[in-house]
Amino acid sequence: MSFVPQFFTTAESLVDSLDKKLLVVLRDGRKIIGILRSYDQFANLVLQDSLERIYVGDAYGDIERGVFIIRGENVVLLGEIDGDTEDALPLRQLPIEDILQMQREEAEEKARKDKLRFQLLHKQGFSVDFTDTDLY
Amino acid sequence: MLPLSLLNAAVGHPILVELKNGETYNGHLEKCDNFMNITLREVIQTASDGDRFWRLPEAYVRGNTIKYLRIPDAVLDKVKEDMNKKRNMGSRGGRGGRGRGQGGRGGNRGGRGGMYRSQHQGHYQQQHD
Repeated sequence: MSFVPQFFTTAESLVDSLDKKLLVVLRDGRKIIGILRSYDQFANLVLQDSLERIYVGDAYGDIERGVFIIRGENVVLLGEIDGDTEDALPLRQLPIEDILQMQREEAEEKARKDKLRFQLLHKQGFSVDFTDTDLY
Repeated sequence: MLPLSLLNAAVGHPILVELKNGETYNGHLEKCDNFMNITLREVIQTASDGDRFWRLPEAYVRGNTIKYLRIPDAVLDKVKEDMNKKRNMGSRGGRGGRGRGQGGRGGNRGGRGGMYRSQHQGHYQQQHD
């Protein structure tokens, strides 16, 4: 009896995505959009004409990043981007300087809130030695 | 063109390496291996918060600490060109890429060995006739 898988869950399943526009999310939270040109058994990826997209609220900004070789172990997820759906998204594109400024403010706000929350938790006897690492 | 072959093709070019901890290294790629270990020359190291810099004459980066590498567009273009050139040479030249058939001799003689063996013999003949 032979077992023929309907789809591969290994790096082989990437063959369908070759030369397509992909969104890749990295462990550090960055989102890279680019055209998948190549990959290997570790899911190391080659992306061409890449851009890094930064989202803040309902706005985003892009930074041109050229050719990427991404080491597979840093990839959280990747998926093809449907151009039509992408055009229909209710998101505003802003100049990258504005987005970076908004991103900084968002990070500062989060740090401020976290500090308050940790102080509160600490008072109630909870452990608050949470270090800001990635969630994966 | 596999990711690591592309990295090999980038030897001698300026590249950017970002480590998992966020530090970046800008420099000319000197050597790399199949573990993605690399050596760089004339390096600028940037701290993960991006506000401190160091200049290093050379640097060795262990492959498993790498998050990603960025290479110049020109490297990918050059590699594609080279691959096309090679393919054209192959189709014009007399050897290689020619038919998949087994030669006249040594087809499936002997009854044992089956598919693999006969393919193997065909391959052997192609190389040596």
